[in-house]
Amino acid sequence: MAVIEVKNVQLTYRVLMNRTGSLKELFRDAVKGRVRINNYVALDDVSFTVDKGEVVAILGKNGAGKSTLLKVLARVLPPTQGSIEVNGAIAPMIELGAGFHPELTGAENVVFYSTLLGRDIKKTRAKLNEIGEWAGVTDHMNFPLRTFSSGMVARLAFATATAENSEVLLVDEILAVGDASFQEKSRNRMMELIGSGAAVVLVSHDMTTVRSLATRAIWLEAGKVVMSGDPEEVVTAYENSYH
Amino acid sequence: MQSLQLIRLLVGRELTLRYKRSVLGIGWTLLNPMLTSFILWIVFSFIFASRLPDGTQFAPYLMAGVLVNTFIGQGIQSASEAIAGNGSILTKVYVRPQIFTISSALASLVNFAIGMLPFVVVVYISGQHLVWTFPLVFVVGFFLALMIAGIGLMLSILYIRFDDARNIVGLMLMILTYLTPIFYPINILSERMQNIVNANPFTSYLNCIRWAASNNSEATLTNWAVVVLTGLITPVIGTIIFKKFWPRTVAML
Repeated sequence: MAVIEVKNVQLTYRVLMNRTGSLKELFRDAVKGRVRINNYVALDDVSFTVDKGEVVAILGKNGAGKSTLLKVLARVLPPTQGSIEVNGAIAPMIELGAGFHPELTGAENVVFYSTLLGRDIKKTRAKLNEIGEWAGVTDHMNFPLRTFSSGMVARLAFATATAENSEVLLVDEILAVGDASFQEKSRNRMMELIGSGAAVVLVSHDMTTVRSLATRAIWLEAGKVVMSGDPEEVVTAYENSYH
Repeated sequence: MQSLQLIRLLVGRELTLRYKRSVLGIGWTLLNPMLTSFILWIVFSFIFASRLPDGTQFAPYLMAGVLVNTFIGQGIQSASEAIAGNGSILTKVYVRPQIFTISSALASLVNFAIGMLPFVVVVYISGQHLVWTFPLVFVVGFFLALMIAGIGLMLSILYIRFDDARNIVGLMLMILTYLTPIFYPINILSERMQNIVNANPFTSYLNCIRWAASNNSEATLTNWAVVVLTGLITPVIGTIIFKKFWPRTVAML
């Protein structure tokens, strides 16, 4: 059974021209009949499935719809048409540290972030020490986050997000955070998660990474799938397209 | 299950953050309604205290009004703001957005419950005493929280789409304040105005709370029906409207 099933997904952003974000001005424009709405198609008829253990790489230029696709998979953006089915817990490694608040302590932030990711609060509390230790911030866990350096915050977010194995991993570039030694550690942890049998969707501009990790590649352009299949072939075709 | 855990965390988080920002901490929640009521008492007791029906005391009448008004005003503003304010979370991970609105309304309920402490003191100072129906205050408060969550859901769509929605809502809330008998006895109004004020559902909530706490007002059966019905129906309507517009609105966060 496919872990991720994407069927004919279309996503249209409605863009209000002369948008002002003002209710009064919109009302004025509406009265005068000057409201124009443009539809911007970010994803157009995209279909694919990802099985357990597969690593699917999404290629494409900036604005091709890669990040939108990841957000749709993370269920953050609902598709305008089509359907998405995801069986299993999703770890969106898209932007880490959702809901981190500077006034709350490291431990409080970890608990909150984990709960947002749909994890059980008791399990997280039991793992707090482990997470703090892994991020190298054990001594700071009971201090407000504003006393952390930015590197410490990034490490804590990474450690929390990767504290549990998930069935689905959404990756926007292989994240490497912190100083050189932590970068290596986090990279290794990423590789470990990718290799752990999860269904992985990976967005990357680094073709070496794609060639070495992906079991399949999908090339997106202007929201449409141009080519899909063996990563070697897709990457070569993609590279040739702009040389 | 997971949603309940998240709601608990969010309510706690909103309250801690509110208290961490003020020097007096939780003391401010206790002091603020007392001070507001005290000022209003100085201003209005000469005019209104003598116009109240027999057996009604102005100080607890006023303070119940202030507490309910704060609950409604701040409650609606923060419940409507909850989703827009947590946009950075909602664009990163999947959480049902309604959770933020509900948590915010519940946090306002907790604040209201804390405000009941100084209220009880005022009740006794004024020579009244609590009656056995007092626990109903919190039941009415819960229905009010439900209604606020429902209104918050409808307004949050506007709050995300339009920056000036806040100002317009603020203005509406001010009008609503004067259409609720917070500091005046309703019998000072003309019959026509009385009908308008009585048609305001928040008047029903206030009457029921005043009656339940210390028999300081009348609460008709209609009042109770309004409390239960608006408390149950508003969140349903709010959810329907919210769900209709949310898919198109989420991209604007």
